[in-house]
Amino acid sequence: MLLTLQRMGPGRYVLYAITAIAVFYLLLPIVFIPILSFNASRWLEFPPPGWTLRWYEQLFTEEQWIGSIWNSVKVAFLVTASAIVLALPAAFVLVRGKFLGKTALNAFFASPMIVPVVIIAVALYGFALQWGMAGTLFAFVISHLILALPFAIISIGSSLQTFDIAYEKSAMICGASRVQALLHVTLPSIRPGIIAGALFAFLISWDEVVLAIFMATPSLQTLPVKIWVTLRTDLSPVIAAASSLLIGMSVLLLGISALIKRTRK
Amino acid sequence: MNSSTGSGGTLDAGVPQGSQPARSMAANLLSIRNLSKHYGDFRAVDNVSLDVRRGELMTFLGPSGSGKTTTLNMVAGFDTPTAGEILIDNQDISRVIPSRRNIGMVFQRYTLFPHMTVAENVGFPLMVRRVAKPQIAERVTRVLKLIRLESFGDRRPSQLSGGQQQRVALARALIYEPRLLLMDEPLGALDKRLREEIQLEIRRIHHQLDVTIIYVTHDQEEALRLSDRIAVFDNGRIAQIGAARELYDQPANAFVGAFLGNSNFLTGKIATANGGRYQVTLKDGSSIEAPARLALAPEQPVSVMFRPEKAILQSVSETSGFTNRVVGRITENVFLGDSATYEVRTASGELVTVKQPFGPSETKTRTMDEEIAVSWPHDCVHIFPIDR
Ligand SMILES: Nc1ncnc2c1ncn2[C@@H]1O[C@H](COP(=O)(O)OP(=O)(O)OP(=O)(O)O)[C@@H](O)[C@H]1O
Ligand SMILES: [Mg+2]
Repeated sequence: MLLTLQRMGPGRYVLYAITAIAVFYLLLPIVFIPILSFNASRWLEFPPPGWTLRWYEQLFTEEQWIGSIWNSVKVAFLVTASAIVLALPAAFVLVRGKFLGKTALNAFFASPMIVPVVIIAVALYGFALQWGMAGTLFAFVISHLILALPFAIISIGSSLQTFDIAYEKSAMICGASRVQALLHVTLPSIRPGIIAGALFAFLISWDEVVLAIFMATPSLQTLPVKIWVTLRTDLSPVIAAASSLLIGMSVLLLGISALIKRTRK
Repeated sequence: MNSSTGSGGTLDAGVPQGSQPARSMAANLLSIRNLSKHYGDFRAVDNVSLDVRRGELMTFLGPSGSGKTTTLNMVAGFDTPTAGEILIDNQDISRVIPSRRNIGMVFQRYTLFPHMTVAENVGFPLMVRRVAKPQIAERVTRVLKLIRLESFGDRRPSQLSGGQQQRVALARALIYEPRLLLMDEPLGALDKRLREEIQLEIRRIHHQLDVTIIYVTHDQEEALRLSDRIAVFDNGRIAQIGAARELYDQPANAFVGAFLGNSNFLTGKIATANGGRYQVTLKDGSSIEAPARLALAPEQPVSVMFRPEKAILQSVSETSGFTNRVVGRITENVFLGDSATYEVRTASGELVTVKQPFGPSETKTRTMDEEIAVSWPHDCVHIFPIDR
């Protein structure tokens, strides 16, 4: 290769430095917030004068916090399950189907990624009010589903695209029914796409705040909404603990997906 | 049915033969009748009819795009015919879905399921048939032994070579004892030596199991090596069906003559017909004789074909030799060890190739540009009418 780092001479240290700054910049909130969450000071002082688990204790004992954590988990799981259930057939149609306007439909399924979230939120809020759904679990799930579905469809669709249909044909000529071929050959082959789609869906729902604010009522909130609401009234370090929980879950899921990828190889 | 089964019998040697419902034992396992597949105006398969005998290994031989795969896919049930019938054991199978046709297939592309081990792949057809696990294990072992890969059961397909993968694919197609095995250029991606090795393997298995096979290839050597009979495909049609020797010695048309082996073609027209022979006047003015196998009228333009190894080279002054003779100059001279190949340009500018084996008496080599006579017997000549 012409442009290898070795050939660049001392200039390469500039690249290293810029990369290091970028990493530091991205890592800052992920590291800074958890540090603050163990801060003994009531006023989010830095550097911390001492260490404590008090804020976590408060997070896991105060009913409102626990309730919001529990809501977030429920919503994220429901969103993940519905996203996969809907994305699987949709991806099959989009990849395997032969019909007019297929590209247009493909673009349409990606539209929630382009339309500003606030606009989606306003539209959904209107519906939710009209149908009396605001503040229900159902409202959270269907609003998050709008954001999660495109990611699930795209990741399942792309693994279906690379799946050679000859595998299905050979399964069928071997005596497998369509359902058997699907269960034993196609689905296991596109499993990485399904897992990636599920992780995306879960993470999108898990830390989504804009739609959730619109759908929330004081009695039913998700964790990000509760953080946001609390933030406006008082700057308690419990927020840092709650945020660390959000970050921790995301990092955990990404770690799991990396692990799955590794073991498959 | 082929009765020369002294050796192995079926895969399930231990199971009494009567366990299957009695079939009608027609001589032909598969009959294809007036089969066509059109894509718009394009005829990928155009009115194909053929019979495959029970226990036979038939190859579909033809150039790329001649409709071999399309025909095979219709037999397998992956494509729907535009017209025509496919009968297996005298029953129309056009409404039967692929999984119920009880046909085995090995594809050109590697299609072992990557997430299963070799043993799981081979056992897959039995698994979907809900055969009991211990019985699957036993039959997998047996069929892996048949393809000599008994110690590879726990490997993943990605840990096998291309040749091994295709042998496993063959095992997967054989384990459920399909009544018909289809192979679509299964060795196309392999190098020549490996291909020949697996060809022998396929022949051995064919004899051992007595299974009926249709084998698609565009490699004539492969077709000659494997087949009981060859169906030559040309542009969606069958140009000729027959044993290799028959196709080589009696090509039904110029396409088969040109496709199978090497041949010389000279143009001319019928002068007279008498006593079962035609006199043909060639483009360079010389007159030759040919057996009158087809009824052709005088003045009919024809293509005259004969094989390079049927002709000899002589000095122009020599008058002994065969009935037919043209004169020209040597333009190419290739020494091949056991033989030499000469290219001779005739007065009309046409090229004739002569293959001269170096037998115990023939030692002469000819020089370039030498004026020479090419002579060949009349009964080695095939003539094909050319459309006017
Ligand atoms: N789905 C399709 N739509 C249009 N034309 C097709 C389609 N499938 C095949 N054809 C055409 O039909 C013809 C026959 O194709 P087929 O695959 O049967 O050839 P083949 O004899 O198997 O050739 P090869 O040796 O290259 O595999 C080709 O010209 C091909 O382009
Ligand atoms: Mg083909």
